[in-house]
Amino acid sequence: MWVIFGIVVTAAGFALIEMRPLAKAGKIKELWLFALLLLAGTGLCIAVSLDAPVPNPLDLIYALFRPSSRMLELLLKE
Amino acid sequence: MTGDGFEMTGKVQISLRQFTVLVMFYSIGTTILVIPAALAATAKQNAWIAAFAGWLLSLIITALYVKLGSLFPRRSIVQYAALLTGGWIGKPISLLFIFYSFVGAATVLYYMGNFMTTQVMPETPIEAFIVLFAGLVVFGLRLGLEVLARTAEILFPWFVVLFVVLTIFLLPEIEMKNIRPVAEIAFKPILSGAISYISYSSLPLIVFFMIFPANLNRKREAGKAFLIGTLVGGIFVIIVTFLCISILGADFTERNMFPSYALAKKINIGNFVERVEILIAGIWFMTIFFKTVLYAYGFVAGLAHLFECEDYRPLVLPSGMILAASSLVVYPNVVYMLEFDSTVYVPFSFAIGLALPLLLLLVAGLIRKKRNH
Repeated sequence: MWVIFGIVVTAAGFALIEMRPLAKAGKIKELWLFALLLLAGTGLCIAVSLDAPVPNPLDLIYALFRPSSRMLELLLKE
Repeated sequence: MTGDGFEMTGKVQISLRQFTVLVMFYSIGTTILVIPAALAATAKQNAWIAAFAGWLLSLIITALYVKLGSLFPRRSIVQYAALLTGGWIGKPISLLFIFYSFVGAATVLYYMGNFMTTQVMPETPIEAFIVLFAGLVVFGLRLGLEVLARTAEILFPWFVVLFVVLTIFLLPEIEMKNIRPVAEIAFKPILSGAISYISYSSLPLIVFFMIFPANLNRKREAGKAFLIGTLVGGIFVIIVTFLCISILGADFTERNMFPSYALAKKINIGNFVERVEILIAGIWFMTIFFKTVLYAYGFVAGLAHLFECEDYRPLVLPSGMILAASSLVVYPNVVYMLEFDSTVYVPFSFAIGLALPLLLLLVAGLIRKKRNH
């Protein structure tokens, strides 16, 4: 519980630091991008702290490159 | 693509010497910790020859990078990918590059945490190291490229001192019988070792296309600086591999997860100066820091360039959160890590680090031909 509280407080702190100058400068695109990344980051951190199953990006690479790595292994075998 | 993003990239300038040191730190990176084991697994007692072969190949790859970089002296790879192939192909290509940098940053963060928990402070949870180290990386990125470059310049002498101390203290321990028989060289194990060397150490250099040569103060000599950085970095890796094989032996090097750390434990001066390995570990704290920072820079600045933002810095803090969380996800366990790094990572690295720049070079060549006719 405390971990989640800490994560949310950190995220709020980040928002306080970055969002005001961006809003002042009228950078709407940056604001959106920042908000999206912060949301993703907070969500991911909470999910990891709760040990929830988070999709692993390496599994995707694994599936895509397994055939070529097998071929490479065969080629380089003595 | 000539608007804001273009202006921003050119503004930050770092000197050639700083760039050389950054390239050197980056190409040593995690390589120095793990590559002796990977090389010893295939090339056995000739691992250092495989490292040498990989070093030669890495110079060829750097030459290719220099060629591509010289075509676009004022833009980052994300910007000219869109420029060359148009938005519909260029943006996915940039996304691939950003994904590669993201995976690199997350995995290297895990490496750092894993090293600390298994070797140095076993009772501290890995999250503590990852949060601390990610915080350091975010801090560096938030301060900007110039600060990072100057940090590299300042740390370089310390790195050299530690490395020289390690090498000199270990010289008495070398046993030549461990590297024999030298003549038993077979082509395939050496090639396989060299391939894993370049996939760890030189193909990831592609993240430098975010700063090379757009952020260098003297663009004409930038290529030379790039080559010298790879060359010097490779020499350090070859020396460490040689020390590992000649002191620990091929078998122990292969079975150890961090052979260079095991190597540093061997230091023994008159039964008095012993177990100084954590001081020596300063070598890879520095190199891994720069490796993580540059990967993360590729990720964050890549995103900023993709969306044509003026400055990448506002995006650093939330990206740091994403990286820290993902680093705990990417490798579910060490077995997965070893399996992934020794098999699938190699073609993945080749696809992003070699096929992608080759494709861009090809397209650039075709466009130039069309223009001339």
